[in-house]
Amino acid sequence: MKNIYSPIKAVIENITEETPTIKTFHLKPVEPIVFRTGQFVELTVPGIGEAPFTPSSDPFIKDRLEITIMNVGRVTTILHNMKPGDVVGIRGPYGKGYPVDDFVNKELIIVGGGVGLAPLRSLLLHLFNDMDKYKRVSLYYGSRSPKDIVYKRLLPQWEKRDKFDLTTTVDMGDETWKGRVGLVTTILKDFKVDKNQAKAIVCGPPIMMKFTTFKLIDEGFKPENLYLSMEKNMSCGLGKCGHCRLGKYYICKDGPVFTFEQIKDLHDIWD
Amino acid sequence: MQQYFYLKKEDLGDLLSEINKSHALFIPSKKDDDYIYLSFSQLQPEEIIYSIYRGVEPIKSFLTHSREIVNEYFQSFDSSAEAKPIAVFGVKNCDLSSLTLQDFVFEQGIEADPIYKKRRENLLIISSDCTGFKKTCFCLAVGNKPYPEKNFDINLSPINNGFVVEVGSSKGETLIRRLSQYFTAATTGQIAGSKIKRDNVVNDLSQHLASVNMPPKDALQKNVREGYESGVWKEQMLTCVECGACNFICPSCHCFLLADDMRENKSRRIRIWDSCLYANYSRVAGGANPLNTRAKRLRNRFMKKFDFFPDNLGQFGCTGCGRCIEACPAKIDIREVLKALAKK
Repeated sequence: MKNIYSPIKAVIENITEETPTIKTFHLKPVEPIVFRTGQFVELTVPGIGEAPFTPSSDPFIKDRLEITIMNVGRVTTILHNMKPGDVVGIRGPYGKGYPVDDFVNKELIIVGGGVGLAPLRSLLLHLFNDMDKYKRVSLYYGSRSPKDIVYKRLLPQWEKRDKFDLTTTVDMGDETWKGRVGLVTTILKDFKVDKNQAKAIVCGPPIMMKFTTFKLIDEGFKPENLYLSMEKNMSCGLGKCGHCRLGKYYICKDGPVFTFEQIKDLHDIWD
Repeated sequence: MQQYFYLKKEDLGDLLSEINKSHALFIPSKKDDDYIYLSFSQLQPEEIIYSIYRGVEPIKSFLTHSREIVNEYFQSFDSSAEAKPIAVFGVKNCDLSSLTLQDFVFEQGIEADPIYKKRRENLLIISSDCTGFKKTCFCLAVGNKPYPEKNFDINLSPINNGFVVEVGSSKGETLIRRLSQYFTAATTGQIAGSKIKRDNVVNDLSQHLASVNMPPKDALQKNVREGYESGVWKEQMLTCVECGACNFICPSCHCFLLADDMRENKSRRIRIWDSCLYANYSRVAGGANPLNTRAKRLRNRFMKKFDFFPDNLGQFGCTGCGRCIEACPAKIDIREVLKALAKK
């Protein structure tokens, strides 16, 4: 019987520095790990521990995956000090991921905050594989400062795509910044979409998710059309260890993506 | 196969001795007012007793261990290889009822936990009726009976000079066939006699619980939900020292932590029982901690037991064993918390 606590070995092939605190790890697992966009994996540093991340790469690529990681804790600090050739472990994927079938023939509003763009990149790459299926994709991305913007090299390429548009903002500009300044909520207006039908997908830090949700509801989006990436300390990934309970759900197995309709009546969802 | 057999009192020791040949058998041993499980092999025949009420250790301790290795990195690892299957005698209904919860967590869901599954399949459960109760017992108040109804292999109900033995599973049926020399068919009189004893215990416990005056079980989920913002959590948590005893002694609590352990240059993943009353239980990388006060952590414990489990399993995450009441050094009493919530 399969040992559910045993990770698959993966080699770090390459590391891209996205920002001073965020790196993308390009991983080659010894056997393919097939994930659906929005599902997460437990990335393990043997002897140290593991932490949950949603891959940021194209889910149609089966033999490699990329994970974009901010240096914030014990495991991520050690990951940030690792080099190409080093070995990590991967368990998963876990959770339900994005319900991409619900997005077909819809206008999609995608809102990212900071490193929250990482899971959304995987979603975008999934969508880019077959843009005929979707009416239009609009990405709204906010970061703290110009130097905190992830995927700087990719954003200009994405912008050239048909049926896609990008609006970025930073909380605080600097001498080089010519774009918008203000929280991501300040660019969430003047939508030219059918708000009864459009789907909005949000991923970012809890405070950003909270105010983005309120803003989108104010703008007229429907709670059942708002998809939120919820986060707690998912450990086992299988709904057993108990840590990531949110009301009657476990984020690891019932999420991590929930519609606002599913969770709006639960206590303390933004904590 | 018929459901009920009769076992003579003087044959109990021989029956257990036979079971101990094929299993590592644990039986209750009296220590002060309590029972602890000891290995049958360590005990003398005269030390074999019938326990009146539940033992100190919850049944879960035979299925998950407080700390155990679950994986050795990138190597095949079979932690479920145990020499002999375990048998436990004298398991009471509060523990049997908790098995529904433990099975739900570890055997069901997305994937089964292979270590638990193997131990659970191998575990032989010889349960028995409660013939008395502790002051802290409150199974009836959460909808449980002081006698087994399910989750046992065979159950012993004492009557004069012997036991009515009920078969609860195919494993129990096999056992009775194998050791048929100890069993005869139970008469309707014997079965009726065992039922009268059960009713008497239910009556006595009901009278005791009337003096405890707990809220009705049908109101518990509602009370806990509606008490979410109440001051009860803080009031009740003033004395908590965050030792986790209530969690570890609870037959229903199942939370665990996965951690890595590096020894002799070999890294292993270990699984440790966790406590939702520990300050870092819900902490995430970066430092955010949704359950950052003891009051929130107590509330989380009650929401899990009296709201999450009823919604997901149709059963409370509390079986009324009362162990947490005895274990708590701060005298926090689950019955009093539920009563205080009902008053608000």
